[in-house]
Amino acid sequence: MSPPHAPTEYPPILIPRSFTTTEGNKTGSWRFLRPRYDEKTAPCSVACPAGEDIGRIEMLVTQGLFKEAWETILLENPFPGVCGRVCHHPCEAVCNRHDFDEPIAIHVVERFLADMATRYDLRPKLPKLPPRPEKVAVVGAGPSGLAAAYFLTRLGYRCHVFEARNEPGGILRWGIPTYRLPEAVLKNEVVLLEAQGVEILCGKRMEMGFLEALRGEYAAVFLGCGHGRARPLVVPGSQLPGACTDGLQFLESIRLGFSPQLKGTVAVIGGGNTAVDVARSALRLGARPILIYRRRRGDMPAFPEEVEMALEEGVVLHELRTPVHIEPSPSGWSLTLQTMEPVGQPEGLPAEVRPIPGGVERMAVEKIFVAIGGEPADAFFAPPEVGAGTLKLGNCLLAWAGDGPPLVYGGDLTVEIQSVVHAVASGKEGAMALDVLFREGLEAVEPILASCRVGPGPALSMEVFLKGLRCRRNAHVVKYSEINTDHFTFAPRIAPPRLLREERIHGFAEIPLKISANLAMQEAGRCFHCGLCNQCDNCRLFCPEIAIHREETPRGRRIDYDYCKGCGICVVECPRNAMSLEEEEAS
Amino acid sequence: MWQVMEGSHAVAEAVRLAGVQVISAYPITPQTHIVERISEFCAAGLLEARFLRVESEHSALAALIGASTAGVRTFTATSSQGLAYMHELLHWASGARLPIVMAEVNRALAPGWNIWTDQTDSLSQRDTGWIQLYCEDGQEVLDTTLQAFRLAEWVNLPVMVVLDAFFLSHTHEPVQVPSQEEVDRFLPPFSPSFRLNTETPCAFNQLATPAVYMEMRYSIQQAMASALERFPQLEDAFQTIMGRRYGAVEEVSTADADVILVTSGTVTSTARGVVEALRNRGEKVGLLKIKLFRPFPAEAIRRHLRRAAKVAVLDRNFSFGAGGIFAQEVRAALCNLKDRPQVFGYIVGLGGRDVTPALITEICRKTWERAHPEEADEWMGLTEVPYESGTAGP
Amino acid sequence: MKVELPDHELMHSGHVGCPGCGAAVAMRFLLNGLGEKTVMVIPACCWSIIAGPYPQSTLKVPVLHTAFETGAAVATGIRAALDVRGERDVTVVTWAGDGGTFDIGFQALSGAVERNEDFLYVCYDNEAYMNTGIQRSSSTPYGAWTTTTPGRDWKKMRKKNIVEALAAHRIPYAATASIAYPDDLVAKVKKARSIRGSRFIHIFSSCPTGWRIPSELSIKIARMAVQTNIFPLYEVEGGVRYTINLKPKGYLVKEYFRLQGRFSHLTEEDLDQIQEMVEEDWELLLRKAGTMPSL
Repeated sequence: MSPPHAPTEYPPILIPRSFTTTEGNKTGSWRFLRPRYDEKTAPCSVACPAGEDIGRIEMLVTQGLFKEAWETILLENPFPGVCGRVCHHPCEAVCNRHDFDEPIAIHVVERFLADMATRYDLRPKLPKLPPRPEKVAVVGAGPSGLAAAYFLTRLGYRCHVFEARNEPGGILRWGIPTYRLPEAVLKNEVVLLEAQGVEILCGKRMEMGFLEALRGEYAAVFLGCGHGRARPLVVPGSQLPGACTDGLQFLESIRLGFSPQLKGTVAVIGGGNTAVDVARSALRLGARPILIYRRRRGDMPAFPEEVEMALEEGVVLHELRTPVHIEPSPSGWSLTLQTMEPVGQPEGLPAEVRPIPGGVERMAVEKIFVAIGGEPADAFFAPPEVGAGTLKLGNCLLAWAGDGPPLVYGGDLTVEIQSVVHAVASGKEGAMALDVLFREGLEAVEPILASCRVGPGPALSMEVFLKGLRCRRNAHVVKYSEINTDHFTFAPRIAPPRLLREERIHGFAEIPLKISANLAMQEAGRCFHCGLCNQCDNCRLFCPEIAIHREETPRGRRIDYDYCKGCGICVVECPRNAMSLEEEEAS
Repeated sequence: MWQVMEGSHAVAEAVRLAGVQVISAYPITPQTHIVERISEFCAAGLLEARFLRVESEHSALAALIGASTAGVRTFTATSSQGLAYMHELLHWASGARLPIVMAEVNRALAPGWNIWTDQTDSLSQRDTGWIQLYCEDGQEVLDTTLQAFRLAEWVNLPVMVVLDAFFLSHTHEPVQVPSQEEVDRFLPPFSPSFRLNTETPCAFNQLATPAVYMEMRYSIQQAMASALERFPQLEDAFQTIMGRRYGAVEEVSTADADVILVTSGTVTSTARGVVEALRNRGEKVGLLKIKLFRPFPAEAIRRHLRRAAKVAVLDRNFSFGAGGIFAQEVRAALCNLKDRPQVFGYIVGLGGRDVTPALITEICRKTWERAHPEEADEWMGLTEVPYESGTAGP
Repeated sequence: MKVELPDHELMHSGHVGCPGCGAAVAMRFLLNGLGEKTVMVIPACCWSIIAGPYPQSTLKVPVLHTAFETGAAVATGIRAALDVRGERDVTVVTWAGDGGTFDIGFQALSGAVERNEDFLYVCYDNEAYMNTGIQRSSSTPYGAWTTTTPGRDWKKMRKKNIVEALAAHRIPYAATASIAYPDDLVAKVKKARSIRGSRFIHIFSSCPTGWRIPSELSIKIARMAVQTNIFPLYEVEGGVRYTINLKPKGYLVKEYFRLQGRFSHLTEEDLDQIQEMVEEDWELLLRKAGTMPSL
């Protein structure tokens, strides 16, 4: 008999009760589709001639990492302040967000970053390679030459930039009005460039012999001397003394500090940015400018935004007219114009035009400005014909003649489109080409440059060239249909504050005003970051298998293929197509 | 302390004294007096328990499955239709090895509606893994209910304390109610060996594949065997404190009996009188009361019945197409003996019909007169009724 | 997304749910809102299997697997036991499928919430008996194919509005939630956790296997159900105070239906009719929320 409260001996028991986890079930064996992190290429970065990693830049801004964002621009472009202002931002034209609501104001964010760097006097930390024995001479301190020197310096080369004028900057310094590009902005970026080790020698005008002298001392020469001379207008009367004023020279004289008072109607011949700049500058100096352009407004090479603002300010546009005759008149000049009509409607191309028989107009003007393009100041700057001894690259031309060192023709001399950012692209391409040439030889130039393309190109990435993290990107350019827009809400594009029209036309003060960090973050936050992981965590959040884990790596996440069943939710719920789902290899 | 109370209240007293912590029940005649009295105890603060007034018997037992797994002492009571409705969860409670105690008032199953006593409801649940204890009177009800908690918690199986409708549930008798101190000595606080808790989280009752299911079932059978083996120990402990014991079976004058009646429930009391009267007339009649039906005390039954020539089993229940359930079990217990008694089955008192001393005397006489049972079971006291003609056969 | 999933989760990998299982995602979010002080009741449903066979458990909270129709009753009992034991800080949660909630478990659920039992009942709704092989339930939507509504016998009855049924019991808190809106879901779980009495959350959990959709669209489909007003996100407090949590863009239901094999037999006319039904329900909801539908 057991006492009532004696320790009770229970019979053995086997109940359905857990004592282990399900982690012994390697459910990854069920998988026939395999997700993986697969960062792709954003269309903006492809459209950017400088190949800036725009999606990543916007991402860093969204995260408040302004310095890192700024440095990310500097990896590919030494001029964020300049390009944030004067670049025609082809990136925005292809922004996928356009199909959703409005494109990201990429240039506004870029400008913000540069201004922020200036305000806090930031110094960038950029990868720099060990010194190389070769020295490179750069002729011309315009955007292409400076860019070439910047990238070559970072690649370890000693660079001397020879500039004819007494200040560097080229067109940026002398050809762009300050209401678009204040002087300090350029100066700041040139200072940063010099801080990287670029040596700029001003007041060194290039002569034929001088170039020959350079050849002996330097392993290569980059020629980025641009179009020093305006293309003249050739019509009866145009050669009369005082009949035509070179638009670029007019702009330069303003930048030099001469601000002539103008009055009455002035004609500006041309449709490019210089023509628009001349018209708007003339307006600010008291004239009533009329832009004369031979094609339609939509065909103008000038940036539409600039044309828009010019018209807003009071510039008058006479499209489909071309000057045919100039003669003196009592009040100044009498300008005869032939009216034109478009022939055909070629898709996306400037219209062909032809004169309308009998369509002649005459106008009386005080002054005639001509801005119909430029050409190299000296004939020996002109690149040779493509052929033996040359290699035509995207935005520059490599030439090796005889026993001399190789020459790279860049900038406006060779670019597809004459723009600041193309000049930068040209400088970068030249720098890369020379580096490959020195290290690997001529044969390697084209294949290696091709491997550094952003997506399908033609833009090149210095980060890829330097084997940075961007190398991992898939060249596939993300399409709008590949964005999971469920994860985005409509938000209007930032309308950055500007000077009022009335404030603008009385001076040369910069028109766009500065924006706050808040607004910049908000605008960058609209970015889809096409193809790029911004650590949104959706993949991990929605994983039914808890098979995605955070880790301390640049990628930040790891897929545990022991358990991933390959459902593909992570890939679909990735808002920005930074993942891919592929068929599992049979094992 | 002696008190006059009905069987239902004897159950309630035991529940109070056992310090049950969660009670869950749904009303059904004739179980209602049990839960009403417990409700009164709770309302008066005499029992510190949560009484869950659930919306069905199914939920009553479900709630106790939850509560018991969470580690508290639990109780419910039901009857007939209610028990049948619980059926699924009877299996669940035993499979989960939960020491839930239930008072089950034997009542006939419908149709036609019948609230009177009949054992078919509880016996239909014989394969659910519940220990079943059948009671004869109010005192036994109280004592058995107390024992049920001790037994259930000892072997981790649920226990059904079975009592006849009205004849026991609603009949007032003097009952000796033990003191709290006595009960506490007999019944320690519930301290389960496993319990649902957040400190050592685990899953209970999950999927069991063919690889383990059989072993789990075997474990239940081991517990049943253990319950049978330990029941005398448990009664020893009870007797030490309370001075009473019942036995898994109780024999009356079986040693020299030619005919032994086998009974359960309140019929036993009537049978005791008949046996006494027949003995007084010199007839060698004995009686075996079966209290513990599951686990079935086959060995004890063989011991008491093997020397008799004939056994008459009174079944207040029926398994259609087979026979009286106790009779079947008794036959099965005896079948492997070399010289086994003849087993006569009698179906009596279904749906609350009286089982009178005269009827039991007649059963004795019939058993006496015949050498062998003429049929498996004889339905006693059937009256002439107007039958309808059935559907024509093939 | 605002939801921050901790690195230490209350669920293990290796569970045996189908690829893309919405109910697995729903469980993750639920546990995120609940925390460790949780006891879970799982009546028969897909999760009876997903959680793993003996001796495994995929959850790091205690779980009681129970019979199909007992979710609410078992939770009642556990709550009572924990109260008796003084464990007031533990939340008792029932995790049931639509069958266990809308159909076989509805009696126990109705009974328990009428008593205002102190538990959180979460129904993960995959709109049919999926564990047994896609049979129709009273949660199966109008128009759906299931293995018991095959061919021309596709379901021609509306889905039972379970939240309304629960709200009619005047329980403290009833809400809908979706696996496509984790922040909303987790916020509701946290809110429900802070309330005493009966709380009900109805989580729309897509089922690639049963709905005949590619597994990778599991979340997207759930999101579309919300965006089409087929499954609006709202809360009902005290049975009367309605709050609509998300005003959808109002996509057409056909965009949702066309992605799913279970609706592939429906004609344009059928879809138009369903569109009307959805709009009617939405307007009813707007009225209850005190927002007149825009005319």
